[in-house]
Formats: sequence, C-alpha cells, structure tokens
Amino acid sequence: MNVVPIGPIHPVLKEPIRIKLIVEGENVVGSELEMGYVHRGIEKIMEGKHYLKGIYLSERVCGICSYIHTQTFAECIEHMSKIEVPDKARYLRVVTAELERIHSHLIAAAVYDLSIEHETLAMWCLNAREHVMDLMELITGNRVNMGFNVVGGVRLDINKEIIDKIYKKINELEDDMKNILEVFETGPLINLRGEGIGVIGYREIMKTRAVGPVARASAMPESDWRLRHPTYKELKFKPVWRDEGDNSARMIVRHEEVMTSINLIRKALELYEESSGGVRVKVDIKGGSGEWKNEAPRGEVYYKMSLTDGGLIKRIMIRTPTVMNLEAYKYMLKTCPTVSDAVTTYTSIDPCVSCTERTIVLKDKKTGKIKPYSFK
Amino acid sequence: MIKEFFRKRDINVCVVNTGGCNGCDIEIVSCLAPRYDIEQYGIHVHNNPREADVLVVTGPVTLPWKNRLKEIYEKTPEPKIVVAVGACALSCGIFKEGHVCGPVDKIIPVDAKVPGCPPRPAEILDAILKIAPDAIASKEKILKKRKEGVKSTV
Repeated sequence: MNVVPIGPIHPVLKEPIRIKLIVEGENVVGSELEMGYVHRGIEKIMEGKHYLKGIYLSERVCGICSYIHTQTFAECIEHMSKIEVPDKARYLRVVTAELERIHSHLIAAAVYDLSIEHETLAMWCLNAREHVMDLMELITGNRVNMGFNVVGGVRLDINKEIIDKIYKKINELEDDMKNILEVFETGPLINLRGEGIGVIGYREIMKTRAVGPVARASAMPESDWRLRHPTYKELKFKPVWRDEGDNSARMIVRHEEVMTSINLIRKALELYEESSGGVRVKVDIKGGSGEWKNEAPRGEVYYKMSLTDGGLIKRIMIRTPTVMNLEAYKYMLKTCPTVSDAVTTYTSIDPCVSCTERTIVLKDKKTGKIKPYSFK
Repeated sequence: MIKEFFRKRDINVCVVNTGGCNGCDIEIVSCLAPRYDIEQYGIHVHNNPREADVLVVTGPVTLPWKNRLKEIYEKTPEPKIVVAVGACALSCGIFKEGHVCGPVDKIIPVDAKVPGCPPRPAEILDAILKIAPDAIASKEKILKKRKEGVKSTV
C-alpha cells in the first residue's frame, strides 16, 4: 500500500489542507484528510462581544464568500428581533450577493481549468472576473471584504449613474459567459477529463448531506436555499440542476448559475428602481436565540446564535458548506482512475478550507460517546 | 554578471497561507489575471518552496503552522525573501485573541510588509518588485564571493 501525500503546500491547492491518497499503482483506493491548519477560533473570539464587532468578525470567516456571511449574520438578528428591512436594502443585498456568487464561481472555474491544464480558459474566466470585482468596488467601496451589510439594512445607497454602469458591464459579462460556456461544453479535451470521473449519485448525496452545486449536479435542485428566501421568492427564482453527477456536470452547473445570477441582478435592479425610501433603519435588539440559513456560492450557510438584550453575543454557531462536500469527496474518489483525476475532483467540489475549519465534534446517539471528527 | 542580470527577471514565488481568511490569497490569484499579468515582470507563482526565491505569507500563524513554517523557510534556497501580506500577517489583526501564536515576523525574518485588509493586487506586485530583484542580486554577489573564497583557500 503506497501513500501519495498532497499538501499542505501544493501547486494546485490555494489553501492548506493535507490529503493522503492511498494508491495501488495508478488507482486511488482511499484517502485521509488532515485538517486544522486554518483553525483560528472565530466563534470563541465572538463570544461576549457586541454584535457590531461580531458582524465584522463574521466577514473574516472566509474571504471568497465574505458577503454572504455578513448577510446571514444580519438576517439572523433581524429575524430574531423582528426588524423590517427597507425594500431598497433587500434588493441591494440581492445584487451584491449575486455579484459575489459570480466572482466565486468564476474563480472556481479558473482553478478547475488550471488543474485540467487548460490555461486559456482559466485566463478568460479570470479576465471576466475582474469586471465583476470592479462592479463590487463601485457599489460597496471595497474589492473583497466589503463591510456593506449592517443589521437593519445596508451602509450605502447607489445612484442612477452606478445603475447604468452595472447594466452595461453585466451585458458585456453575459456575452463573455456565453462564449466561455460554449467552449466548456463543446471543447474536445475539456470533457474528456471530466465526464464519468468523480461520479456521485443521489443516494450518496443523501448519505453525506452534500449541498450546493455538488448536490445540484446530482439531481437535487431543492437543495438551493434561495428557493426559501423571501426576497428571492419575489424574483421568481428557479435553480439550475443536472443529473450526471460527475466533474464536468458540477462545473457546468456553476457556469449556468452565473447566467441565472445575471438575470437575478437585472430583475432586482428593476424592482430597486421602483421602490423608494432609505436603505437603513434604526434597530432595537431583543434578546433570545434564533437561526437563519442562506445559500452561499458553495452551498448552505447556517448561523445559530443567542443574544442578550443589549446585543452581546452569548454563543454563536456557524456551519459552512464545505464540511459536507468534503465528506462527499470520499465517495467520488471511487471513480477516479489516476492521481491527477483525484486532484481535479478535489478542485471540482470548490473547497473553501478557511470556512471549514470549525471545531467539529461527533456524538454517538446510542452510547453518548463524544469523539473528535476525522476522515479515516 | 549575465547570470545576475537574468536572475533579476526570473522570480519564483511560493504562496503560503498560514491561516488567513483567503482574502489575500484571491488577490494574489487576481495578479495572475490578464489585467495585472504578473508574468510580464518575470514573476512565476509555483507554490513550490524548494524552487522559490520569494515566500509570500498571508494570515496569522496558527498553532499547527508554527513548526511547519520554519521547515518551509529552511527548505527555500538561499535568497530567502519573505513578504508578509495583509493586516493579519503583520499584527494578527482581528484574530489576536484567537488560537494563533503571533505575527509572521515572530517566527521567521520578514523583508517586506504590505498592509491592508486585503491589499490591492497592484500593491502586492509593487512590493515584490521593489524587494526581490535587488535582494536576489546582492545575495548572488555574496554567494559568488563565498565561492571565490573557498577556491582561494583550496
């Protein structure tokens, strides 16, 4: 039995994680994951702090999906204390969250294309992504950690000039994306590397509770939490899904979600122009505990927290999507013929390690024994 | 002489995420994009510490990284240039109270610091270009002198 160690520093990985692949010749038989390199104890730092500091910290859980964390944090408190957010703020949240989804999916596509050695397509994706980053800087004032959400609305309003610029850039982006999607679906060498590799079926998705594009590529459209979000219900959102469950299906789901996001931004901007009023209300925080779920670019994000009357955080729990997707990775490895396919399968689930590094404890329901989480 | 000249235009970079939030890492990835095009300056991002001239470290040093970072620093070849990127790498930032063992310059010597949360891609590029060619050239000279010294004693 031979072991191929990958990481924590490896050309294909953006983030530190250690994967030990157990191989027989070229075939991958099993795997072990070793995590904990990025554990900083964010939930522990948040305890006993005011919620205004908490929303700042929740943005730094992950840099790629930073916006959706603050949105979930704010909506959780708004849901607990029954605060009505103004219409303009709700639509601006949709616009910015969808822009962030586009940039996250494009960077995932670029990393996948680099791992299948198709550098041209990766550069096209990164080039299209820069225009999205420009739009986010235009709306919020910063590229990555935006600090746009506050409890009770958003920080800034946009004007007519910015709306015109968004429409113009989005139309250009749609043309670019049609081109990229056509190349991805019809390119001769791209689908050879992706079709029939890393297959996961509906039953294993149910077993591992995988979420996000991984679940949607295996015929599970109802895993999209945007279907249950009140603002997205107004926009008549429909999820994208496929039923092959292999690497290229997962990436095509991501590419097509970019197109739906573009349409959602258009609809939200139309509704924004009809609505009037401010973008932020004065809040009155009531103590208690509650929970809220949202659809991050990689799947569902879950916040559960309890507050005191003054707004101090007693206890907070964050669950992020990659925990479940990494569990699904174990099943995908059964259809990976070579080591390089194992690496592309790893990038196709779009893991975000710095989200994932929460303390995970497994409790056996029958015996009541508690043991730390491991992937053996 | 010729080797010094060309080594200035061939800088290999290894990115080490020691527990940051990925914000700085995706700004380094955007440096690869055609808009900034890091390769036109002769900078190649390999993520291989054994071939790297420049270690770009992002994030506060978490507990499992403390010994690993020292190992990686020892593995890098002689012009060991370290660029600390982002507020967390300079002072631990908002993770100061968390499970971290300090900023990067507490563990390994740091040559350049880029503040910001996260810094813009152009700032990261600027820092690498300011520090790397001169450092490579001067360290190359020291190596050359050391070699000549060895020869003369023999």
